[in-house]
Amino acid sequence: MSKLKQALESGQFVVTGEIGPPKGVSLDKCLHDAEMLRNHVTAINVTDLQSAVLRIGSLAASTKLIERGLEPVFQLTCRDRNRLALQSDLLSAWAMGIENVLCLTGDHPILGDHTEAKPVYDLDSVQLLKAASTLIQGHDMAGHELEGAPSFFLGAVVTPAAEPVEPQVIKMKKKIEAGASFFQTQAVYEPDKFESFMNQVQGFNVPVIAGIVVLKSAAMAKFMNSSVAGISVPESMIREMEETNKEDRKKKAVEISARVIRQVKPFCQGVHIMPLGWDELVPEIIKEAELSQETRIQREA
Amino acid sequence: MHATIQKPIDEILEYLKPDERVFVVGCGNCAAKCHSGGEPETEEMAERLKQKGVKVAGWACTASGMSLCKLALVQKMLNEEHKSETEQADSFLILACGQGIHTVMDATDGGMVHPGCDTIFGGETVNDNYITEYCSLCGECIVEYTGGLCPVTLCAKSLLNGPCGGAKDGKCEVDRTRDCGWQLIYDRLKALGRLGELDEYKMPKSNSRWSRPRSLTIGEGEATFRSLSGERKVASHA
Repeated sequence: MSKLKQALESGQFVVTGEIGPPKGVSLDKCLHDAEMLRNHVTAINVTDLQSAVLRIGSLAASTKLIERGLEPVFQLTCRDRNRLALQSDLLSAWAMGIENVLCLTGDHPILGDHTEAKPVYDLDSVQLLKAASTLIQGHDMAGHELEGAPSFFLGAVVTPAAEPVEPQVIKMKKKIEAGASFFQTQAVYEPDKFESFMNQVQGFNVPVIAGIVVLKSAAMAKFMNSSVAGISVPESMIREMEETNKEDRKKKAVEISARVIRQVKPFCQGVHIMPLGWDELVPEIIKEAELSQETRIQREA
Repeated sequence: MHATIQKPIDEILEYLKPDERVFVVGCGNCAAKCHSGGEPETEEMAERLKQKGVKVAGWACTASGMSLCKLALVQKMLNEEHKSETEQADSFLILACGQGIHTVMDATDGGMVHPGCDTIFGGETVNDNYITEYCSLCGECIVEYTGGLCPVTLCAKSLLNGPCGGAKDGKCEVDRTRDCGWQLIYDRLKALGRLGELDEYKMPKSNSRWSRPRSLTIGEGEATFRSLSGERKVASHA
């Protein structure tokens, strides 16, 4: 049974991490990143052609994690597959031992490195969740019976800092009705805003895992503020980063991430740490955020 | 309206064999509004081709407001009004949409046709200088639930159950100068006091109704729409 599901259902505060499969067939770096997370996180998200850039698929990389005794969260986007391929990949995923699936819309191809690719979006993320739920019930979308049904732990994403946030909340509710049992969020840097979002969705009664993107520099923060949807890094945090010497930036990154985690912890059920290559910092972040106890319990579970 | 833009003259010249005698055809409706193939553009194209040394058999354009995609009209124009010129033509260069191109083929018993335009979308003529796309011709209209705004067309991902997380300041992730379709739908439903429409799950589209080619037969009392989803008969007042 999915450890992520067990941990969330038993009310533990969970920590998840993330790896991005490479462009090319050399998985060494990506699996090394995953190893850095071993014993520190409950599950590791594996991105699906993140930013619409061609890479090894999430299904293959997730399988590699399972071979190593690590638990993946298989990310599945609607961008590149029609409903036949989506359902087939879900069945394949279960056959490979994958239990956690995060259903996403997917960045548009125009943002990636194959800008002339045909965007598929035959289903949207809510419909994908519904399709996966239908498979769990033993049928495909066309109503045909399956020879053996999967038993996924389905997740979805939400953007708490979206402006306006109401359409996100409405869609979140639809995702839950379609089968989402947990949520991972876009990066959170403003605990106050996150708290107010969590108050709005409290009645949904579904675990929310707050996204923590490790801030590497002031330039990165400024770039995200101007270009990345649903992310807003406060000026004070940018200044903090600017006033830090280059050699102390990793230390600062740990400090900021841990501080945000401590601040959001009372309002959510876990954190999803996206270290963007600074994977070696994750253990320190967990330690400084005073989460070592939680991750130890889950490890021993 | 089918919006079209004229192909570059060099591309058109590449289509024509030496000594090929071409007859230029324009459309008095959509292509005229797009200034890609109305009467002045059709005459001008004939002149430009002549200047480039192309043998031009003649040119014709349907009357102002009349569409080239109406077969009977084109038969009359090409086979009667311009009979002596079209008889001399080896081929037709059509300054209109793809439907117009095929109509000329039909009107000329399978005559050789060259596209003079790219057909870019079906849209609303907002004013003389601006045409924009609000419908994707998907075969299954769902705008009842979205305040009249089509998410299949206005959302870059054609999402049916609400926005992705990619919009920033109400602008779409594919182009920060372009409105997020779902932001428009949300704003409109809110203004109409109908936000509740967004709560309901929307089923995936029936792509078979969107299959191509499709046809419509209009009979007495009944019209029949044919697509891969089968025949759909509806009452007709013809």
